[in-house]
Amino acid sequence: MSAADWVVRLAYELEESDRYRRVKQAVYDLLENPHSAVRPYFDLFMMALVLSSVFLLLYSVKHPLGAWADTFENVVVTLFILEYLGRLWVYDSVHGHIIEEYEKSELINEPFRLRRALWAVVRAKWSYMTTPMAIIDLLAILPSYRPLRILRLFLLFRLFKLFRYAQNIQEFASVLKEKRVEFFTLFTFLMFILLVGSSAIYLFESPAAGGQVEGFFEGIYWALVTLSTVGYGDITPQTPEGRFVTMVLIISGIGVISFFTSIVVSAFQEKLGEVHDRQVASLLQKKRGYTVICGFGRVGEVVAAYLHGDRRPFVVVDHERDKVDQARRLGYWAVHGKAEQLGMLRKLGVGTNAGCLLCLTGDDVVNVYATLTGRQLDPNIQIISRANHHRTLDKLMLAGATHALEPFKIVGLIAGEYIGQPVAFEAIHGIVMGQQDISLEAIRIPEGSWLDGRRIEEVPLSELRLILFGVITPPERESDHVKSHYDLARRRFQFNPGADFVLLGNDLLLVFGHRYSILRLRHRLKC
Amino acid sequence: MAGRSTQEVVVAGTGLVGLEVARQLCDRGERVRVVDHDPRRVEKARHLGFEAEEVDLADDDELERLGIGRDVDILFSLLEDDARNVFLVISARALDPEMSIVSIAETQETVKRLYAAGATKVIDPYQISGYKIYELMHRPLIAETLERTVFGKDVDLEIAEIPVPKGSFLDGVYLDRLGLNTAYDLVVLGVVDRYYGDHLIFATDPKRHKIDVDDVLVVIGPRRELERLRRDLEGGRSA
Repeated sequence: MSAADWVVRLAYELEESDRYRRVKQAVYDLLENPHSAVRPYFDLFMMALVLSSVFLLLYSVKHPLGAWADTFENVVVTLFILEYLGRLWVYDSVHGHIIEEYEKSELINEPFRLRRALWAVVRAKWSYMTTPMAIIDLLAILPSYRPLRILRLFLLFRLFKLFRYAQNIQEFASVLKEKRVEFFTLFTFLMFILLVGSSAIYLFESPAAGGQVEGFFEGIYWALVTLSTVGYGDITPQTPEGRFVTMVLIISGIGVISFFTSIVVSAFQEKLGEVHDRQVASLLQKKRGYTVICGFGRVGEVVAAYLHGDRRPFVVVDHERDKVDQARRLGYWAVHGKAEQLGMLRKLGVGTNAGCLLCLTGDDVVNVYATLTGRQLDPNIQIISRANHHRTLDKLMLAGATHALEPFKIVGLIAGEYIGQPVAFEAIHGIVMGQQDISLEAIRIPEGSWLDGRRIEEVPLSELRLILFGVITPPERESDHVKSHYDLARRRFQFNPGADFVLLGNDLLLVFGHRYSILRLRHRLKC
Repeated sequence: MAGRSTQEVVVAGTGLVGLEVARQLCDRGERVRVVDHDPRRVEKARHLGFEAEEVDLADDDELERLGIGRDVDILFSLLEDDARNVFLVISARALDPEMSIVSIAETQETVKRLYAAGATKVIDPYQISGYKIYELMHRPLIAETLERTVFGKDVDLEIAEIPVPKGSFLDGVYLDRLGLNTAYDLVVLGVVDRYYGDHLIFATDPKRHKIDVDDVLVVIGPRRELERLRRDLEGGRSA
């Protein structure tokens, strides 16, 4: 068996091995997976390690340390090396590359070439090793190698490792990265000024001309100190020409500093919303069963206000900036973005943590699309959508909405009822909308409570001033004492049950009544 | 809901809301006229089968030509702009102090303004929709029950107003002693006594209320039972 055959077989064995996959996943969770539960603890531990090792280094400048410090250093470095190798390992899959190469060569009927497969592996790993974070990791390890002790300075690179473990700092870096074109322009300009300034000062202020600048390096040092508006004053221009150069340099220095400041400020101003959005997304990861409200129009606003009043967690997403700002002013979690994007809903936890999705924008296309997306991400999530046009209702149900409702149809219904029977409609409407002290409530009869197995006439309805609307029971319950019943999705509504109707545990009494009456009945059922 | 006289209804505005309301009113057998200032929208409404007219709603003369102030009983002001709704409501109220005017509002602020302008009833579709959604999430069983019974389409259970005729068997009975739930399979929510105003006196009100002529009972029940009660009341029979 050739080496190539052996490698391919090993690759397939690894591919099939469940244990290998599990171990790799565990390492991935520990080191890289931003959603894993252990990762924050690992990051904190590594931060502590970095800080203590750098602290020891600084302490040892003046105080000799014992052998235990070396041991500690060795432990730290070992952990760093393991971490580095671990990250290199989980970055991609070596056996995957080999299998891919092998299958490719099988497909086009060519002999499998091990060298090419290995080259692909090396290329992939190299691309990881050249990322800035990987380089920092390596630099944090290297100085411990004895022949390279002069690189002790690089131990300070360990501090850069903190970047890796702190999300906020990474965000900071990513914001600045967006402005690299501006920074590059500034850098070029700075280099140009520095070159001109230092050459000029060296020419005019050399000791021969009566100045203090002894070499070209001193010229650069002086130019930078002046340009940055720091101006130590250890080297000062003596000749009129030198002073002229200084003045020019000071003026351009002000320009450079203000340009730099404005780049940083504008970068953060532009990204402030995004930073906020990311914070909301990471906060959401800690919650379960919250509601995602797409569209903060009037309907969204009303729902949000009710949920807020109930202290139920929810997040708002809208594509209009001022709507998002408005939601934030009200103290809600809000994210700016288009709900119809697949990535957006997933970012908000649809498919993982969210329990309910509300598609309430004024645009039916967006609502249908968001409903469909939500249903694809999570077959079990509750989706309630708004149809602005009466033809959209069916489309929403087809797209997978649990409920769909038409605000304008409701106006029609109310208008129609209003023409016919204004008083009756106002009354029931007020009750159903919770605008009056009288409300319609469902009261569950606990199993084994004093009402379990009793007849309706034994419920103290008139004593508590309640009106019985009906009883919700399991769907198969038949009774001679009910004249009309209505089937719900999984239950049966028994309208106006007679005095001899027998209540069982887990039945729901639907009663109209003052909220105090309802509270009293609930309270009695608990005793 | 049967047994109503035909009224003169005008729906102003042919946006989504206006057409939806007009459609539902037509389905209930009302004679509805739809008006708008935009000729293209009027054309579209006509195309959909409505009796549509082009009217400048900011002009009082045109409103009078429509019959406001004379034979229009109910005006629905369903324009898509709050300010124009308020203006129409004020103009119409000035022409006819008696007419019912129903309007819609985009915001809570406009609701107050419309009532001040003289609207009889202001519907806030967003508030209602928002509350319905909240109900669906937080009390799904009640929302589902109402949807399948009272508020849904093609359902048998209805809310109805039953006026009490003179000399009927309900005249002079106490509200909590009606016994309609056993005799008719109806649930009595309460009564409106015109003497005390238009609001509903709930059936469990601690002050015992005696039913008399011209009181209106508000009851929920299957259509056939409601019909039976109406027949019995008109026939002067006792239960």
